[in-house]
Amino acid sequence: MKKLIEIAGLSKNYKGLQAVGNLTLSVGKGEIYGFIGLNGSGKTTTIRMLLGMIKPTSGTCFIHGEKVSLRNHAIWKKVGYMVETPHAYPELTVRENLHAFRRLRLISDPEVVDNVINRLKLKPYADKKAKNLSLGNAQRLGIAKALLHKPEILILDEPVNGLDPAGIVEIREFLRELAFDEGVAIFISSHLLTEIAKIATKVGIIHQGRLVQEVESARLHLLLNRRLVIGAHEKEGVLEAMASAGFVSSLNRDGFIETYDAKAIQRPDDIARFLVYQGFAPTQLAVEEEDLETYFLRIIGQKGEGGL
Amino acid sequence: MNPLMAVLHVEVLKLRKGKLLWAVLAAFTFAPLMGGFFMFVLKNPEFAKTAGLLGAKARIAGEASWPAYFSLLAQIIAVGGLIVFGFVASWIFGREYTDRTIKDLLALPYHRGVLVAAKFLAVMATTGLLSLYVTGLGMVIGWGIGLAGWSQSVLQNGLAAIVITALLTISLSAPVAFFACWGRGYLAPLGFVVLMVVFSQIIAAVGYGAYFPWSIPALYSGVAGEGYDLKAINIFIVLAASLAGGAGTWAWWLYADQY
Repeated sequence: MKKLIEIAGLSKNYKGLQAVGNLTLSVGKGEIYGFIGLNGSGKTTTIRMLLGMIKPTSGTCFIHGEKVSLRNHAIWKKVGYMVETPHAYPELTVRENLHAFRRLRLISDPEVVDNVINRLKLKPYADKKAKNLSLGNAQRLGIAKALLHKPEILILDEPVNGLDPAGIVEIREFLRELAFDEGVAIFISSHLLTEIAKIATKVGIIHQGRLVQEVESARLHLLLNRRLVIGAHEKEGVLEAMASAGFVSSLNRDGFIETYDAKAIQRPDDIARFLVYQGFAPTQLAVEEEDLETYFLRIIGQKGEGGL
Repeated sequence: MNPLMAVLHVEVLKLRKGKLLWAVLAAFTFAPLMGGFFMFVLKNPEFAKTAGLLGAKARIAGEASWPAYFSLLAQIIAVGGLIVFGFVASWIFGREYTDRTIKDLLALPYHRGVLVAAKFLAVMATTGLLSLYVTGLGMVIGWGIGLAGWSQSVLQNGLAAIVITALLTISLSAPVAFFACWGRGYLAPLGFVVLMVVFSQIIAAVGYGAYFPWSIPALYSGVAGEGYDLKAINIFIVLAASLAGGAGTWAWWLYADQY
């Protein structure tokens, strides 16, 4: 697959503090790369370096195989972007802002503005001044500016911030359409793994400036911790019986017995039969899977190992 | 579409829709009106006193003539321009940081220098037009008052002094632009403007005004009460300050990390 975005060994130090360290990743045509991290983890700094706004301390970014540099400005012709909270000229209306950016993007056809207004459902707000927009609509305007010139590469920093649930679904579907139907390479940053996992083809987790994990979204569920949770009246007896059968188990904070033993998780029916034979009929038996946010926190070391 | 013209078009749109233009137009309408009022009072001192326009014991020095009025208009541009033109440059450059729209301008498919050039052109055009407006309005007021001493040579000399004063003052907008970028907003450039106005007064008062860029336009316009023949060194000093500001702004846009 043709790599449209490539980041190689990228680092940025600020006064001795490493904001981004040795970051390497790539995004191909039609891919959606979800770049996940907490606030201050280095997401926006990476995006700013990718867009040539900040000079890296070391490493290089490539767009369409061409090195990002001040002189190489032609590469931005095919790139649409939105960095951090979207801002627009407050005294201009949505339409005027888009026409201003149409000119800045050197697009002579004024119809592109109406097209993008319709596509982002901004028509009811087209003549509203940008300073009077809600955060959700400001976000739409930001995305509209990024899409005016029909880019082949889209770089979006926290694009669903401020959107209501319907807006989030709408933007999600819209980005899918852009990537999967139109082949746009999308690099999208967020602090919400659950949200990103729904659209991204690949997920990269950044923490303290370092890429701590990169995984295909389809494989993400394989990495989630699973556990067997057992409810019983005689908890001590169950713990002893499980131990005697070789299953490491413990009592959790909610008063349930839990085990991470792969065999137990795969065959909960065997565990139920075994406990009944031992005289400890379970009152509850469930295989639970770690949610993505917990997984994310576990990966970046914010929560105890194995926590669900 | 030519990038410079496209960016310039957008700068004009922002100026047209913003409040700044109206605020500076108001300031530059008030100033020649005040100048005209002084000329009127000088021309009709008794009428002014009887009509209550002037206190009974008040006296205003000077004469009500076209040469004096042209000099007054040049002074308005020299002193008022330092502040008003400074506001214009602060707004054109600083607003991108205050409105946080700067990031939208940094990855466009042409050299970033085009944006800097367009912004400087917008500053020059706006301040140039403001100078023209002050001069035009001032002349209408002067005719309305019926000032004495009109001649072709007075007009030529008066306009030449105004044009040179305006060019010198406009040149000094470039360092303001740099401070707008460096300070990422309005505060630093406006502080710089105020500081330079204060310094220009103090330095001129102690007799070194001819060597301080921000004192030179006012000195040339005749604010000290007597004419001052501009020397090459004075022009060089103003241009050096202007070039330093322009180069600093250029370098900032091109090479500084933009957070």
